[in-house]
Amino acid sequence: MSTVDLAKAAPVPASMRGVAGRRPRRWRLPFSPWHLVLVPATIILIFPFFWMIVTSIETSSEALRFPPDLTPHVLRFTNYGDALKAAPFGRFFWNSAVVAITTVISNLVFCAAAGYAFARFRFLGRGVLFVLIMITLMVPFQVTMIPQFLITKWIGVNLLAGAGIGHIGSLIVPNAATAFGVFFLRQFFRTLPIEYEEAARVDGATRLTVLLRIVLPLSAPALATLAALTFLDSWNSFLWPLIVITSPNEMTLPLGLATFQGAHSTQWTLLMAGNMMSLAPMLLVFLLAQRYFVRSVAATGLAGT
Amino acid sequence: MATSTAAGSRRRSGGAPGGARNRALARSESLAGWAFVTPASVIILLFGAVPIVWSLVMSFQQNNLLSPKTPFVGLQNYRQLIHDPAVLSATEHTIVYTMLFVPGTMIVGLFLAVAMNRQIRFIWFYRTAAYATMAISTISEALVFIWLFDPSYGIVNYALSLLGLPQQQFLNDPSQALGVVVVMTIWGWSGFAVVIYLAALQGVPKELTEAAAIDGAGRWATFRRITLPLLSPASLFLAVWLTINALQLFDEVFLSTQGGPLGATTVVVYYLYVQAFQNFSFGYASAIAYLLFIVILVATAIQFRVGRRFTYYRS
Amino acid sequence: MGSNRLRTLRALVACALIVLGLGACGTGSGGSGSGKSISIWEGYTGAEQKEFTHLVAAYEKANPGVKVSALYVNNDNTLQKVLTAVRGGTQPDIAYLYGSWAPNVAKIPQVVNLTKVVAKPSVNWNDFWVGERDVATVNGRVIGIPALVDNLAVVYNKTLFAQAGLKPPAASWTWAQFQADAKALTKPAIKQFGTAYVTPGSEDTVWHWEALLWEAGGQILNSSNTKAAFDSPAGLTSLNTLRTMAVTDHSMYLDPADSAYANLFNSGKIGMLVTGPWDLSAFPNVHDGVQVMPQYPGTGAGHQTISGPDNWVIFNNGAAQVSAAEKFLLWLTAPAQAKAFSLATGDLPTRQSVASAAGFTAAMNAALPGVDTFITNLGNVKQARPQIASYPQISQVLGTMIVSVLLGKSAPKAALDQAAAKVNSILAGSGS
Repeated sequence: MSTVDLAKAAPVPASMRGVAGRRPRRWRLPFSPWHLVLVPATIILIFPFFWMIVTSIETSSEALRFPPDLTPHVLRFTNYGDALKAAPFGRFFWNSAVVAITTVISNLVFCAAAGYAFARFRFLGRGVLFVLIMITLMVPFQVTMIPQFLITKWIGVNLLAGAGIGHIGSLIVPNAATAFGVFFLRQFFRTLPIEYEEAARVDGATRLTVLLRIVLPLSAPALATLAALTFLDSWNSFLWPLIVITSPNEMTLPLGLATFQGAHSTQWTLLMAGNMMSLAPMLLVFLLAQRYFVRSVAATGLAGT
Repeated sequence: MATSTAAGSRRRSGGAPGGARNRALARSESLAGWAFVTPASVIILLFGAVPIVWSLVMSFQQNNLLSPKTPFVGLQNYRQLIHDPAVLSATEHTIVYTMLFVPGTMIVGLFLAVAMNRQIRFIWFYRTAAYATMAISTISEALVFIWLFDPSYGIVNYALSLLGLPQQQFLNDPSQALGVVVVMTIWGWSGFAVVIYLAALQGVPKELTEAAAIDGAGRWATFRRITLPLLSPASLFLAVWLTINALQLFDEVFLSTQGGPLGATTVVVYYLYVQAFQNFSFGYASAIAYLLFIVILVATAIQFRVGRRFTYYRS
Repeated sequence: MGSNRLRTLRALVACALIVLGLGACGTGSGGSGSGKSISIWEGYTGAEQKEFTHLVAAYEKANPGVKVSALYVNNDNTLQKVLTAVRGGTQPDIAYLYGSWAPNVAKIPQVVNLTKVVAKPSVNWNDFWVGERDVATVNGRVIGIPALVDNLAVVYNKTLFAQAGLKPPAASWTWAQFQADAKALTKPAIKQFGTAYVTPGSEDTVWHWEALLWEAGGQILNSSNTKAAFDSPAGLTSLNTLRTMAVTDHSMYLDPADSAYANLFNSGKIGMLVTGPWDLSAFPNVHDGVQVMPQYPGTGAGHQTISGPDNWVIFNNGAAQVSAAEKFLLWLTAPAQAKAFSLATGDLPTRQSVASAAGFTAAMNAALPGVDTFITNLGNVKQARPQIASYPQISQVLGTMIVSVLLGKSAPKAALDQAAAKVNSILAGSGS
């Protein structure tokens, strides 16, 4: 191929160089053939978003069609402004952000510590404790929500007012550490080669230092993943906030968006505009997290493993 | 070498020379272990385990959630459960659903993650698209899929007509409705599987795969012999996590078919929700939740057992 | 570097705790006890929300020192939130609850018995429609004040009728005519249906059929609510009407998720819909007309229809709170406010005096064409669904019966008999 084409081509990934270069070239696309797989797959994945976006920028009379027509005749970008004005969304956004960010940080801290201990340390009761933690995932929320509500109320009255019913803390504290986080990080830590940690211990490092200076840097992809997933879970959480929040001041974004959904009629255009705006921070968090999806140091090979 | 000494000292039992030092080591490891797990465990168990015990107590009561009188009725709820044909069929539907959903999501997720595990142009867009499917609100997801599978106006039947295949009734057909829910939820969860597998793929050293390629192994063989085993911890994690969630399916059913048509998509959690908040039989609902709990516990235990043999940890 | 990171971590955790402490602002839930602040949980959106806020502001202005704090809760979710709150003692002063929950809500000890309150002449209890009063009363106890009333009628597409050469439905029409119209309006080639029905098997499925059952002269249960009464010739007639349209004529679009039928009508794909006044504003793209339900000639039941009223329920948070809540609710549901609310939102008037006020119906119809028929149709509401605690279970049985007939899975007679047997065993097992 001419140098002009090569310059335009996407950089050939390292894994395909070398060997591929030695094979005789039949025909080459100006882009990676994986795009041919990813583009249709992505279309299937984001198809509902087309519908959401179109609904958010059309008039309500065009939104009330079935089958949905994805080519509106009249565009209404003011839906976004109208949605923001319909309820104090600035407040909802702030509440959601505070809850989500605090939840992510506390999860990273607590679940990394616990996950590491479950993965590497031997201590009496380790197995039982891990099973107990996993068990908390196995009973549906519809049944546990009333006891959880009562416990939260008790905490608010007896321990920490800010974590009781009707306060933002009640959205953070029950989720400050999740069984998902502990389970996920335990699995991930177990895949790391133990040699680095053992070497550091022999050199006299404390277990905490090993975790902080060796294991966590190697776990960037997993931590980024956990952060993104925890953020998403917290941002989209609806049922628990519905149960514990008692005033519009503490409502989070999903509760705020629900104000567009009446019992008999829903304002679809405003709801979709609200949903799209709510989506933006989640996508932003994920885009940031993707920067950590790099091959970790461990993957670059340990001689003689 | 330094590594073998450290490894060796852990394997020695307490009676051998240096036993006191080992016991001290073991004690400090115990202390460290408990110190590390306590914060997370307290939170998880306080808000997770205590309610579960509470719910167990409620399952032995006659509780309608309305009056504070909740008389103890022993095993009556459980006896009713065993004789309730609706519980049996809900369990059946749940298990069938899980057996279709879990492998389906894992395969789709793995395929997409492998495709997205490369630095080509726009890769950030493709990956974000996968993640975004998790961020979409369930109501939007449900509405779009209800539309896609509408017997008269949906795209799927339109595509079938173009291919000369007969039109299906989908959500109006008790034998197909669960399948539609499977497709809808695989779509909704594949982003999760992609994200998990992507993180795990970062731990697959490219030197190993390249070495295999140089040795003449084909791409598929490399994948099967090297990548898959190295991904097995992630696969176990996904299998366990997806199963736990699949057995507790609720939202998508609630927002689309509401258990219909004719109960074809009534899964266990939907049935217990109806018992609790429409029929006001909360004690009965708790008993059903406990039946489900046993099923999930057994399924998870089996997966961990089987997984132990097939997962490969590099330590 | 390690200790720095540790310090950062500690700082972050400290920040989190500070945020938690700062989060201790705003309590919101009523029960300050003094009667100065009442909390109300409602699910008003759009125009209803605007007008409700307006009325609340007017009340606060007229009653200085009193604060009404409203919390939006989607009506479908209010029950779960109320039940949880009641367990924890944090219930609101007033909540908007579906009428179908009334027989069970009445069992909550904190629900205030309003029988004496509404008996006061100033309230004029009998001014509320009989369907509303029936739903607010459980075993002789009044447990709510009507918040909303509606009914089912037929909304039809005038353009499609003209295209098919059909005369628009007359006020005296029959189900045979409905069936014939539906058949004539069905054009498979352009995927147009004569009518539609929702088939998730929920109460929405059931109450549409119950209207037909009543029009056929039938009853759901016997007068003492101890046995099924729907497995009668009337039950058979009503099921056969539905079956003919769904299975034989294929003139009925079956909506399994209760979501598409309204938009379909608005897209001109459906000729007639049995629905309520709340849907009128959802049809901006079609030229629609409204007619009362058809009748089965010879049954004497006329064009009877069914209504789904909702209640404001008061919870006991102390005498001062209760009396403040009662005062607010009686003001909110007084004729003047009921009229203002109806005119602003298009919701049907909850009081008969408002419906018959001069110029009211004309004004309503000017704002929302077709609603006048729904208003006069309120006179066709003669009875309510059985106000018993086991109704939800009965409804589930009926839903399965109707859907199995609509999907062609069972014959109407067999379905009726099976359902009646199940309902009888439910009634035998329950206490109320």
